[in-house]
Parts: sequence; structure tokens; C-alpha cells
Amino acid sequence: MYKAVIIGGSAGSFQVITRILHSLPPTFPLPVLLSLHRLKHVRSGFVEALSIKSGIPVLEPADKDQIKPGRAYLAPANYHMFIELGNKIALSTEEPVNHSRPSIDLSFVTAAQVYRDKLVGIILSGANRDGAYGLKKVKDLGGLTIVQDPLECQVKTMTEASMKLTKVDHVYSTNEIIKFLQSIK
Amino acid sequence: MNVTDQDLQYFISALKNYTKYDFSDYSDKSLKRRVEKVLADRNLDVAGLITSVKNSQDFAETIVKEITVNTTELFRDPQTWHLLRSRILPRFKNNKNINIWHAGCSTGQEVYSMMILLHEMELFDKAKIFATDLNSDVLEAAKKGQYKYRFNIGYLDNFDKVIKQNPLNYEEFNDVPYEKYFEIDKAKDTITMKKFLTEKPIFRKHDLVKDGNLFFAKFDLILCRNVIIYFNYNLQNKVFELFHSNLYPKGCLLLGMHETILGPWATKFEKIGQAYVKK
Repeated sequence: MYKAVIIGGSAGSFQVITRILHSLPPTFPLPVLLSLHRLKHVRSGFVEALSIKSGIPVLEPADKDQIKPGRAYLAPANYHMFIELGNKIALSTEEPVNHSRPSIDLSFVTAAQVYRDKLVGIILSGANRDGAYGLKKVKDLGGLTIVQDPLECQVKTMTEASMKLTKVDHVYSTNEIIKFLQSIK
Repeated sequence: MNVTDQDLQYFISALKNYTKYDFSDYSDKSLKRRVEKVLADRNLDVAGLITSVKNSQDFAETIVKEITVNTTELFRDPQTWHLLRSRILPRFKNNKNINIWHAGCSTGQEVYSMMILLHEMELFDKAKIFATDLNSDVLEAAKKGQYKYRFNIGYLDNFDKVIKQNPLNYEEFNDVPYEKYFEIDKAKDTITMKKFLTEKPIFRKHDLVKDGNLFFAKFDLILCRNVIIYFNYNLQNKVFELFHSNLYPKGCLLLGMHETILGPWATKFEKIGQAYVKK
């Protein structure tokens, strides 16, 4: 019933993302869109690091790439990643939004507009408020919203900001997020 | 302010009818977002925007500048500059001239990065640098070669990575001082390129949608980075044709890190790393 999963994360989310990707079967039926902040000087090597343990291929997409199920698409460093109608990636070098490029909000808002009630939006650990507005849009357009339990987050600013703005559907631990994703058929 | 597909079409038609700009083949989504931002910043609705565009060329010009994207950095994506340094520019070292076109140069950081690299490689004197953009304001800034220190300090790292270090040999370190190429004035918050750099390039206003090659020259290297992401497939192909026909055989086209040639023009180039070499 779902068509895509989008995950936003920042400080403290790397381990969580790694565990989530590791847990996904190669037959995972949906694309996984990853909008993650990274340190300015650690711009390369991220996709490789995520790939090592991932159950599905992790790619840094090119502009206008077709989105396919069973793959994870990591927003390239220093670009915004948007989702376009027709299941395509669009990249942009527009100004950072809230000091962030990629902007989690922009990825989430455009994904919500494309997938509407067929989208699962997940916000993980992070040290700023990016993603809160995006998750609200996912909810407003009928999608399912999940945040990592702030008690478990290395930095809980992002998840708390999201919960403040939106009545999220689920507050899950990493294990519960994994269980939920594995249950998607 | 939400802009519908129809609003966007009205706006594009108004620009087409009342100005020399045609945005029909720009990528919808990003254009829509830019227009939404213009409306929000100016507290206008689409009808109001269209009326103002019809009534004033100056206003229309300003709007065009605002809906196009002008972000750029010194040595953006160091891997790309390593590729230029190790595998692309050496191909031209025996040329009499090296003609380089920066298409969509914005405020010029890429142009200065290129000239600095050429200078370090002792190819500066052979190079002829042409740089174009749609937006006359950014061209003026590019000509001036002066930037805010605080907005560019983060990119000096990139200078170190590309100019001082050699990724193929970690033991090599060239201590090239910034002052060789630009003056940093922290009190005035400026980075100012040296005169021998600012006076070299030829800057011209150019619209990739409708203008051909403005220079009486063909090119060894064309850089058009993070420009075609704002274009649709049709316009991308048109631009690839323009570049292909104005490159020398074995000339190189360099797109942004995450831009690729899709469609018929892909077969007319071979790839060296991310660079496209005309067959």
C-alpha cells in the first residue's frame, strides 16, 4: 500500500541509519529516500560507508534519475534532493534552507506532494529543527509519520521539534522502526 | 503562496510575450518553487506578478534574476578539480592555446578557481577564458572578483585540498599562499582576486535557451556545472548539441558532480571520470 519511505536525520543518526539499512531485505518493495545532514568536510565516503552493511543498494542519485524500489537514494552532499512527479529525483544547488543543504524539509515536502498517503516519513536523531515542517506536510497530505523515540536519540532536538509541530503517528525505537519496515510487503 | 501548474504556465507565457526570456523548457518543480519564493518575498499573487512583468521591463529583469539560481563556491567539489588537474588539463598542455568556456558562471568563483589551477600548472598564459551567464548582476560581481570573506572562508579548505595537496601523492604539499591569488581583508570582510586574474576573462551575457556560441572560437573545455539540473530533457539536449558542436575534437565537457547526459548525445562523448570527451 505504501510507495516510498523517506528518512531524515542529522547528528547522531548515522548508526541508526546503518542499522535500518542493514535490516532491510534485498527484496524490500519500496524505495528509501535518505535526506541526511553531513559534516561539511566529510563530504565523500558517506555513501560507501552506508553501503557496506546495507541490505539494499545505496546510491547517490544523479539529477532526473528514475526512482526504483528496493534501493536507497542518499541526497548528495551540498545538493537539495527533491522528488518529482513521474518518480524522479531532482537535485538543486539553491541556497541552504535553515543552514542545511540538503534540506530535510524540502525533500520531505516534495516527497509528500508526490506520494501523498502512500508515503512513510521518518525523522531520526538530529541537532536542529530541519525536518519538522517536512514531517508535518507528510501528515497533512495523508502519509504515515514516525519519529525515533527522543529518549533513544543521541540528540533529540529534531525529533522533539517534529513532535511539537505534528501529532505523529508513532514514536518508535530503532528496533521498532526496523520491525515496522520489515513488515511492509 | 501556492503556485499551480496553470499559474506557472501563465507566468511563463507572460515572460515569453513581454520579455526576451523563455522559461518553457525549465524544470517545472524548481521554477515553481522559485516563483513561490518571489511571491512570498514581495507579498504578490500570480496575477499581480504578471501585471508587473507586463508593465516594467526592469521589474521583469529583476524577477528573472531572482528565479534563476546563482549559488557557487571556490573549488566546489574538490574531486572535480582533482580530475581536472590530473587527467583533463594535462591533455591540453602541448596546445598553443587552451580555450575554456564557463557557461553559467554566476559570480565567478569557478572561473577564478580555474585560473588559479591553470596558473599552478603553468598553463595560465596559454589559456583563453570565456565566461557567460544569463544574469547581468552576477556577471558584474564576477568581473569585480571581490567576495564576502565570511561567506567564502569555508571554501578556503577546498583551495588547500586542490592547490596545496596532491591526492595522488599524500606526501607532497605545496605551500601556496592565498596572497599569490587573492587578498583577504578580515576587517573589510573581503576576498579580492588579484588584478592579473580579474583582467583575464571575457565575460558576456548569454542565454543558453536561445543564444549560440558568442565567441569566435571553439573550445577545448566547457564547464557547465549545476546549470542543466534546472532544465528539462528537451532543453538539456539542445544545450548538449550547442556544446558538442563548439568543442574541438577531444574537447571536454564538464557537468556538475551529479549531472549526466541522458539521451542521444551520450553516445557522442566518452567519459573520463565524470568528464565527457567529444569523440
